[in-house]
Amino acid sequence: MMKNRSLSFWLFLTPTLVALALVVFIPVLEGLFYSFTNWDGLTYTKMVGFQNYIQLFHDKAFINAFWFTVGFVIVTVILLNVIGLGLALLVTQKFKGSNFLRTVFFMPNMIGGLILGFIWQFIFTQGFSALGNALHMSWLQNWLTNETTGFWGLVIVTVWQMAGYIMIIYIAYLQNIPNEVIEAAEIDGASAWQRFTKITFPMIAPAFTVCMFLTLSNGFKIYDQNLSLTNGGPYHSTQMLAMDIVNTAYNSSNFALSEAKAMIFFVIVAAISLLQVLYNRKREVDL
Amino acid sequence: MKKGFWKRFGKRVAVVALAAGATFTLAACSSSGSSSSSGGKTKITILQGKVENNKQFKQIAKQYEKTHKNVTIEVTSIGGGTDYDPVLKTRISSGNSPTIFSLAGPADVKQFKAYEADLSNTKTAKAAQPGVLSAVKSDGKTVGLPFNVEGYGFVYNKKVFEKAGIDPQSLTTVDKLQAAVQQLDAQKDQLGIKGVFALPGKEAWIMSDHLLNLYLAQDYNGNAQTLYKSKSMKFSKNADMKTMLDLQKKYSIKPVMQMDYSAQVNQYFSQGKTAMIQQGDWIYPTVEGIDKTFAQNDIGMIPIPVPGEEGKLPVGTSLYWAVNKRKDAKEQKAAKDFLDWLYTSKEGKKAVVNKLHYVPAYKGYDNLKMSDPLTSVVYDYEQKGQTTGWAFPGYTGTAWDPDVAQPNLQKYLSGKQSWDKTVKNMTDGWAKQQNK
Repeated sequence: MMKNRSLSFWLFLTPTLVALALVVFIPVLEGLFYSFTNWDGLTYTKMVGFQNYIQLFHDKAFINAFWFTVGFVIVTVILLNVIGLGLALLVTQKFKGSNFLRTVFFMPNMIGGLILGFIWQFIFTQGFSALGNALHMSWLQNWLTNETTGFWGLVIVTVWQMAGYIMIIYIAYLQNIPNEVIEAAEIDGASAWQRFTKITFPMIAPAFTVCMFLTLSNGFKIYDQNLSLTNGGPYHSTQMLAMDIVNTAYNSSNFALSEAKAMIFFVIVAAISLLQVLYNRKREVDL
Repeated sequence: MKKGFWKRFGKRVAVVALAAGATFTLAACSSSGSSSSSGGKTKITILQGKVENNKQFKQIAKQYEKTHKNVTIEVTSIGGGTDYDPVLKTRISSGNSPTIFSLAGPADVKQFKAYEADLSNTKTAKAAQPGVLSAVKSDGKTVGLPFNVEGYGFVYNKKVFEKAGIDPQSLTTVDKLQAAVQQLDAQKDQLGIKGVFALPGKEAWIMSDHLLNLYLAQDYNGNAQTLYKSKSMKFSKNADMKTMLDLQKKYSIKPVMQMDYSAQVNQYFSQGKTAMIQQGDWIYPTVEGIDKTFAQNDIGMIPIPVPGEEGKLPVGTSLYWAVNKRKDAKEQKAAKDFLDWLYTSKEGKKAVVNKLHYVPAYKGYDNLKMSDPLTSVVYDYEQKGQTTGWAFPGYTGTAWDPDVAQPNLQKYLSGKQSWDKTVKNMTDGWAKQQNK
């Protein structure tokens, strides 16, 4: 395959490769090196071997952040794909205003995560509590003051923001399904549910793979919503992996440990995301 | 379709990676600057951590350039405590280190030791008031010069106290404070307040730095350096801290764990919704920005009553100037001259008091009047010598503060953990860190 590629192919690729090398590959290698030292962000005095890696497995904050993130990823991946696909199915029906609805559903994605977090913080603390007062529902009070409401707050914001994006991807694939296939199934007497599970869903399996990848890796890497909505609080209980890594470096000045955490983080995200892609790809069907 | 998918999939990943790359490149470009001296002029670069004074420092630099034609000054300000160090580290490792930078306490002094010039012989260091330099001594040399001194206590709303018929100055003991708080709480509705206190549970540092200091400092003579070097933490006055924290929590506007700094200062205090808040003189510009007449006429500050230290205000320094030893002698001298001018010349002093609203950490300011009600309280206590020291800069730069003290205090405040366990976790955590 490679031999078919001409000089111009590589010529066009070079700027990207150089940029990637400068901002991704080289820093990653540098980070890998620093994770074996006692680097404080300024200098390092000695190599410490795997000490940082051993330490991070005893680091309660890191373990906490890990399980919190895993829970968050599981919930958001399910919700995002279900809601994203649901919205896509809704707006691909032929009715007036479906284009308008697409725009509306996609809109949250245009707002930056930080601003969104601050807006929702206001909704959760002020809006929810006013609503709770009016309806006498105590579970609407005190949002973001403990781990549970912090968790669901983050889930709500993330799903609200990203569902529209996932929807767009599903729409693209839904529209690619040839009409005759559906019609044939209809003539054969398949019910709407059968048409969806036996025809539509297998046909959009590639979209499912892409969306799973995006939601999985995004869920793991989320930082800005976390920062603006809860800032990891109270008592670090809603601190996700990315935030724990940043705080280890910048708040605790333990840059070497932070690099080690980042390496582990990278391996986890890459492994899970790629395994998922490999697995889902097998399920895809060809026409 | 499969192959097509992989192609598209690959493309998507590449696009995302490219976008991320572009962002990083832009970010990297915007942080670079230049620091060369040209045309016989000496250029000094300042990187400092009090972002709220950015504008004032830039004006002062301009003023200095006017009278000192051979010097140019470039001021960069980076916001609040935790963000500053990484930026300074980045500037240093990219070969673009500033001439003058700021240090937050003993942990910084140790960390940036290789870059700190000896400032013992500057006019400013010699004019320093007794005790203000103790946190920035390194091998017997003075390596930092205080920006200012600051003080904190209960900042109160004069009108609320007047209406309730309570003289805030009389609240000198915990018992008297408790009685007054109960009285204020009973009349909440008549006084038009939502709560006697506004305790921001979200801002862990308000407890872990300022409140904790009151009860911890006594074990270390209020000396940050002593605390920083101590291998263990007694925290013998922890029961007194519990009393004060419980009092603030019980009578605070609720929910405590939802409140942050801006809710405490901007939303509640500045709009008269609370009788008093635990804060310092640094909130004046914020309050003034919201309600100028209220800020000028209706606020004051009293010390938080601490058994054994009644009537004393905790006064200390949060940031110090340091001069970069790796710069050439000419640039270092220009930097020291600038700092001397700022703190010991007539025009400089005026700028310090009137522009920066600083309570000076130096002698020779007798004929200048503090410009706002909160700084004048700090100044008065300082003049009377009724102050206690700040020991907390001895731990704010260490991992113990964000990783141990803050989460544990927040756990206690949310009712998730007993006080005894909180104290034990904190003292154990300190011992573990210090004996590593």
